[in-house]
Amino acid sequence: MPQTDARLGRVVRLLADHATVVVSGTKIASEIGIGRSEVWRLVQQLRELGVNIGGHPATGYSLKSMPDLLLPDFLAPLLHGTIFGKNIHHYYKTGSTNHLAMDAASTGAPEGSVFLAEQQTAGRGRGDHVWQSARSVGIYCSVVLRPALPPSEVLVLSLAAGLAVQAAIEDVDPRVKVDLKWPNDLLIENKKFCGILTEMNAEVTRVRHVVVGIGINVNQATFPPELQGLATSLRLATGSEWSRVDLCAALLKSLDREYREVVENANARESILRRFSERSSSLQGVRVTVDENGGFEGITEGLDSRGFLQVRTAAGLRTVLSGTVRNCNAYASGP
Amino acid sequence: MNQKELKELIEFLIEKDIAEFELERGDVKVRIKRAGEHMVAVAAPHFAVHPAPPATPSTGAAPVPGTQAAVKETAPPVEEGLHSVRSPIVGTFYESPSPGSPPFVKAGDLVEAGQVLCIVEAMKLMNEIESDMAGEIVKKLVANGQPIEYGQELFVIRRK
Repeated sequence: MPQTDARLGRVVRLLADHATVVVSGTKIASEIGIGRSEVWRLVQQLRELGVNIGGHPATGYSLKSMPDLLLPDFLAPLLHGTIFGKNIHHYYKTGSTNHLAMDAASTGAPEGSVFLAEQQTAGRGRGDHVWQSARSVGIYCSVVLRPALPPSEVLVLSLAAGLAVQAAIEDVDPRVKVDLKWPNDLLIENKKFCGILTEMNAEVTRVRHVVVGIGINVNQATFPPELQGLATSLRLATGSEWSRVDLCAALLKSLDREYREVVENANARESILRRFSERSSSLQGVRVTVDENGGFEGITEGLDSRGFLQVRTAAGLRTVLSGTVRNCNAYASGP
Repeated sequence: MNQKELKELIEFLIEKDIAEFELERGDVKVRIKRAGEHMVAVAAPHFAVHPAPPATPSTGAAPVPGTQAAVKETAPPVEEGLHSVRSPIVGTFYESPSPGSPPFVKAGDLVEAGQVLCIVEAMKLMNEIESDMAGEIVKKLVANGQPIEYGQELFVIRRK
């Protein structure tokens, strides 16, 4: 599906700005600079997308409830002072926001471009993993970055992105206890609710662009049976609905903070590794299996200076480069 | 000149942005040429060095005090027009976009500049490695799923 018609966002914004009154079709038409029949068509489209708009052409329109859509018109005003406020692209439905962002980055999309979708039909994880991306219950967000760093210095962004999501959630609700699983899965009570996939296009010494893709389960009320023991959402974990707009804005703000740190501060890596170590319960002394390089099992022994996980095995200390790390005994690892 | 001295020399040349350097000292002759973003170090008689971060010094053998014959010997002959694609990061090598799908390229394929050759993954960061020239894939040097070091050669390409 194409990018969201920007006029949809303007109609919603206009109705939201006059939330207590009925706004005439003529007023909307003149404010946006379109005909009244076009206004009717846009309102119908918004209704199909689940936006609760009352009224009809003869009476005018009113917003019955504030829609929790990740529209640029809602997000941009909350992102002043960050690199993410100027180029927000919204889609009602797309294959994968990472795919959109990588394509756009390779054809010159500026740093700070944000790609958001209400629904993904081909949300991706590592390898052939899929990310369930049902309509308007999660945040599916990819950003374009262009750090002036050698590729080897960019790896730490993968860990920093996890810290950014954690900070965003605690900004919105400090009661939620989020655990980080190396390199950047986010868990609540041992169930995953957020995954991050970073893609980079680089020469040996220079990064052309990096796309950080973040999927967060926000308001899912249920999961398919095969995921129930593994996945959760913020709603399931806290018992109440979250504003995706507020969380998405908090996320982009904390991501902006972490990213600036990485590109501007030569000591950023130390700080990121230290904070990651403090916030991950499985980084030390936990028995894990790793599906990398033939697979192996051992006890976690912290991070090396580059941020790679160290695992003590029968054959000595091994460095995990990329594999999925599974906790052998998730319940015994708690406090 | 030992490995450490050579490494320091290369670092000095990078720091001062010196593109080409030649030294003859006793038995050892060293020629270093930095071509654009790649640096090629050719050293006689017995060691070859590629750029490596301080954390993973390259492991070429130290020079053996040479005979007269060894001193005259230059670097192994490299076929004209051959070029190697190296990894910009430490990670795991993947030949295809996802498990079970066909590889991006195989030996004998003709590739364009900018075409994706493989993915190197580290910490769930997927790095698409592109060909930096048009040509023919002569050889794939690493196996799917294999861990690789920074600067390791991944493919040999014959320039078109």
